[in-house]
Amino acid sequence: MKQKTQVGDIDRSLYDFRYEEDEADFLEGGLTPEIVREISREKNDPAWMLQFRLKALEIFQRKPMTEWGASVEGLDIDRIVTYIRPKSRMNTDWDNVPKDVRETFERLGIPQAERESLAGVGAQYDSELVYHNVRKEAEDAGVVYTDLESAMHDERYAEMIRSHFMKLVPPTDHKFAALHGAVWSGGSFVYVPEGVRLEIPLQSYFRLNARGAGQFEHTLIILERNSYLHFIEGCSAPKYYEAGLHAGCVELYVGEGAHLRYSTVENWSKNMYNLNTKRALVQKNGRIEWVSGSFGSHVSYLYPMSILNGEKASAEFTGITFAGEGQDLDTGAKIVHNAPDTYSCINTKSISKSGGKSTFRSAVTVNENAAGSKSTVSCESLMLDSISRSDTVPVIDVKTDKCDVGHEAKIGRISDEAIFYLTSRGLSEEDARAMIVRGFAENVSKELPLEYAVEMNNLIGLEMQGSIG
Amino acid sequence: MENTKLNILPVPTFSSIGVNYVLRDVSEYETESITVREGGSNEAVRFFEDGQVPFHRTDVTVSAGGRLKLVQVFTAKQPTASALNVTLGDRAAFELVQLYIGGSDTVSEIKTALSGTGAEFRAEIGCALSGRDNLDINLIADHTGLRTTSEIHIGAVLRGQASKTFKGTIDFKKGASGAKGNEREDALLLDSRVRNRTVPVILCEEEDVEGNHGATVGRLDGGQVFYLASRGLPEERIYELAARAKLSRAIGRVSDREAVRRIYSALGWGDEDE
Amino acid sequence: MSQLLEIRGLRVSAEDKELLHGIELTVGEGETHVLMGPNGAGKSTLGSTVMGSPEYSITGGSIIFDGADITEESADKRARRGIFLSFQDPVEIPGITLSEFMRNAVEQREGKRVKLFEHKKKLAEAMSLLGMDPSYADRELNVGFSGGEKKKAEILQLLMLRPRLAILDETDSGLDVDAVKTVSKGISEFKKSVGGSLIIITHNAAILGELHADKTHILADGRIAREGSGELAYEVLENGFEKYLCEV
Repeated sequence: MKQKTQVGDIDRSLYDFRYEEDEADFLEGGLTPEIVREISREKNDPAWMLQFRLKALEIFQRKPMTEWGASVEGLDIDRIVTYIRPKSRMNTDWDNVPKDVRETFERLGIPQAERESLAGVGAQYDSELVYHNVRKEAEDAGVVYTDLESAMHDERYAEMIRSHFMKLVPPTDHKFAALHGAVWSGGSFVYVPEGVRLEIPLQSYFRLNARGAGQFEHTLIILERNSYLHFIEGCSAPKYYEAGLHAGCVELYVGEGAHLRYSTVENWSKNMYNLNTKRALVQKNGRIEWVSGSFGSHVSYLYPMSILNGEKASAEFTGITFAGEGQDLDTGAKIVHNAPDTYSCINTKSISKSGGKSTFRSAVTVNENAAGSKSTVSCESLMLDSISRSDTVPVIDVKTDKCDVGHEAKIGRISDEAIFYLTSRGLSEEDARAMIVRGFAENVSKELPLEYAVEMNNLIGLEMQGSIG
Repeated sequence: MENTKLNILPVPTFSSIGVNYVLRDVSEYETESITVREGGSNEAVRFFEDGQVPFHRTDVTVSAGGRLKLVQVFTAKQPTASALNVTLGDRAAFELVQLYIGGSDTVSEIKTALSGTGAEFRAEIGCALSGRDNLDINLIADHTGLRTTSEIHIGAVLRGQASKTFKGTIDFKKGASGAKGNEREDALLLDSRVRNRTVPVILCEEEDVEGNHGATVGRLDGGQVFYLASRGLPEERIYELAARAKLSRAIGRVSDREAVRRIYSALGWGDEDE
Repeated sequence: MSQLLEIRGLRVSAEDKELLHGIELTVGEGETHVLMGPNGAGKSTLGSTVMGSPEYSITGGSIIFDGADITEESADKRARRGIFLSFQDPVEIPGITLSEFMRNAVEQREGKRVKLFEHKKKLAEAMSLLGMDPSYADRELNVGFSGGEKKKAEILQLLMLRPRLAILDETDSGLDVDAVKTVSKGISEFKKSVGGSLIIITHNAAILGELHADKTHILADGRIAREGSGELAYEVLENGFEKYLCEV
C-alpha cells in the first residue's frame, strides 16, 4: 500500500499566547464620524488629517465590496474595535515598555534580533507603536525611522508626509483602503537621504493582541536618489474566537537609482482577515524587490503593486503562500509598466493542504509608453491532498508591441518519479517528500530573513499519515 | 435592446482590467446541434460571415468513443457572437479548430465538459486581427472525468489598433483524477497601438492532476530573429513569416481543401504552391 | 590566395564586459581553419560576432569580408553575402516548417523565386545525403528535434544555402559516433560542391574527417594565444591545451 505523508500545520504555540487587555482602553466598536473624530483627537492629528479621515469614512460607507476575491462574509466591520488606546507612550528603551508588552516581543525574539542584525526596530502593539529605535550610525547618516504620528508634527517632515500620505493608495482605491484612511493608527515613517545605503535592515513588527480588534498601521517609506534600504515587516496575532481585521497600508516611494527591498512575513492567527494594500512607485533606474511569505490569517487579500514610472525601473516579486485548514489566501502581485525599458519579474509558489485554499492572482500591465519593457511571471502550485484547492488567476494586459512578456504557470502534486529518484538513492519516502516540499519552497525561503527562513523550514515538518487509495 | 453578460470569467478578478465579462445584445439567435453517436466519427466546417444571424449557439455532444472535428471560421465584419457548448462522453475526442480573420467585433465562448472517462479535447485557435478589430474569447475546459486531457493552443497576430482578449480556463474538478491540461498562447504584436489581454486561469480541487499554462506576448524573441536573420532573411520577411506561423498550426488542422482555399483568400494569402 | 575574411584588432563586449581583446585573423578563399581553445575562451563569441549577433557589441577593430567592411552590417545582409554560422544550440521556431523556411532563405540567398517543386526536390536530396527522415521537411523548424537532428538540420542548411564562408560552432558536440560521421560527410560534400571556406570550432578531431586543415588558431581568454599549421590541431587534441598556452 502506498503510504502518504502529510505536511504538518504551522506550530502556532509561539504566537497564540496573549495578554489580557484592559476593557477601559477600547474605543467603542463600530464606525461613526464621532469615533473617527475621537481617534483623531487621541492622536492629536493636524487639522488636514482629521478632514482626510472624515472624507475617507464617507468613501468607506458608500463603497461596495469588490466583486471578486475571497469571501469576507465572516467579517462584521461594526464589531471590529478600531482603536485601542496605548498603555504608554512610545519608548526608545525596551525597559520602559510595559512588562506584558515587552514580554510579548521578547517571546517573538524581536529585541534579540535587534541586537544582532538590525539597524533599527519599530514595534507596534495593537494600535500604537510602543518601541522605536534606530542605531546611531543610521541616524548620523540622516536616516529617519520613526512613527508617522511624531513625524507629522515634526516640521522637517510634516510637508513630506502631507504630500505623500495615501497618494499612492487613495481611499477611493477600494473599501478597505477607505477604512484605513479613516481609522489608521501607528506604523512607520522611513526616510533615506540621497546616496545613503543602509547595509543592515530596519524591521518593524506588528502585534495585534486585543480581541476583536483591527490593526490599521500605515507605513510610508521615501528613498531619495541612489539610496538603499532593506525593510523587514513581521506580523502576528494570537487566536481569539472573534475575527480580527488587519487593513494596513504600505506606500513606498523609490527615487531615481534607489533600491528598496521589502520583506514581509505574515503569520496572523487563523481567524484574521488580512486585507492589506501595498504599493511602490519606482522612478528611473530604481528598483523594488518584494519578498513575501503568507502563512497565517483566515482570509487574505494581498497584491503588492509596483508602478514602474521611470525608464529602466525594475520590480521583482518573490512570494510564497501556504494555505492550510480553514484558510483562504488570495495573494499575488500587480505590476504596471509605465515607462520605457522597464523590467518586472514575478515568481511565486503556493502550497495547499488540509482543505486550505490558495489563489494566485496577478495583473501585469504594459502601457503604451513602455516600449522595450520585459516581464516574466512564473507561478507554481503544489496540491498536497484532494480536499484542498488551488486557483491561478493571472491577467496580462499589453498595450504596446515593443515588449516581451512571458507567463508560465504549473500545478500538480509531488511526482512519483521524483519520489522514486530520491528513494533509489536511499532516502525514505517521507524524507523524500519533505525534501521535495522544502525544495519547492527553496527559492522563496532563501530570500527571507534568516530567522524567518528557519521558521518556515520547521513549518514544513512532515509526518506519516494514512494511505492513499 | 437588452444586454446580456457573455464570456463570464469563471473566477472574476480585478475589475479595472475589464476582463470579467462582455455585454452584448443577443436577443436574436440561431441554434445548431451536432451529435456524434457512440463510436461515430464526423467532421464539420462552419463559416460565420456577414449576412448571417449575428448570434450562433452550437451544442455538441460526442458520445462514448466518438470523434468530432469542428472547424469554425469567423470572417464577419458585423458584430458576431458565438457560444459553443460541448459535452464529451467516455473516450470521446473533440478537436476544435477556430480561425478569427478580421472580425470587427466578435465574442466567442467555448465551454467543453470533459465528463467521460478518458475524454480528449484539443483546440487550435488562430487569430489575425487588424484595423479596429475586437475579439473576446472565453474558453473553459471543465475536467470532471477521470484521465481527461485538454490541449489548447492559440496563436495570434495583432496589427493596427486591434484588441484581443483571450480567457482560457482549465478547471480540474474534484474527482478528475489523472487529468491533464495544457494551454499555450503566442501573441505576436506588430503595431504600437494594439491591445492584447491574456487571462490564463487554472482552477484546481484535485491533487492528482497536471496543469500547465504558458504565454508569450510581444515581439519575436531576439534569439529567433538573429537565427532567421543569420540565414539571410530580412526583418520584414521574418515578421511576415512569423505572422503566418501563428496561424499555420490551426490552418494545418483543416483537411477540407475548399475550406483551406477560402481561409487563404480571407487572409489575402496567395496560393501556397505559387 | 586572396583573403576572404579579415578580422582586424577586433574588440567585443557583452553587458559591459570585454570578451575579445583585439583579435587578428584572416581566412583565405577556400581555406579550412580550425579554431580551438578552452571553455570560455571566446570561440563562440567570435563566431557569433562575425555573423552579426546583436548580443555582442563591437568596441574596436573591423571585420572585412571579400573586401567590404561589414563591421556594422546586420546579420541578414552578411548571410546574403555568403556567411553562414551553424549554431551550437539552434533556436526552435514554432509554426514555420523546415521546408518553408529553407525556401525563403534560399530565395534570399539567390535573389530570385524558387519553384516549389524544384525546392522540394533539392531539399529531399540534401536530406537523404544526411540520412534525415523526409518527414522532417514538414516539421516545425527545430521544434522537438533531438540534439542530433538539430545539428543535421544545420548542415542541411549549409548545403542548401551554399555560403562562401561557413563557421561551424561545435557542430559535433553531443553527437554519437555515427552522427559525427554523417555531419562530417555533409561538410565534405559542402567542400566538394561549393568549395567555400570553413572555420571549424571543435574539441574533436573526428569532425575533421578527411578534410585537410590549412591553419589552426588557439584562443584563450579572448586572445589568439597560438597559431600554426593544420597539424597543430591534431597535436593539441592529443596533448591538451596546457602545453600550448604556457609558451605564450
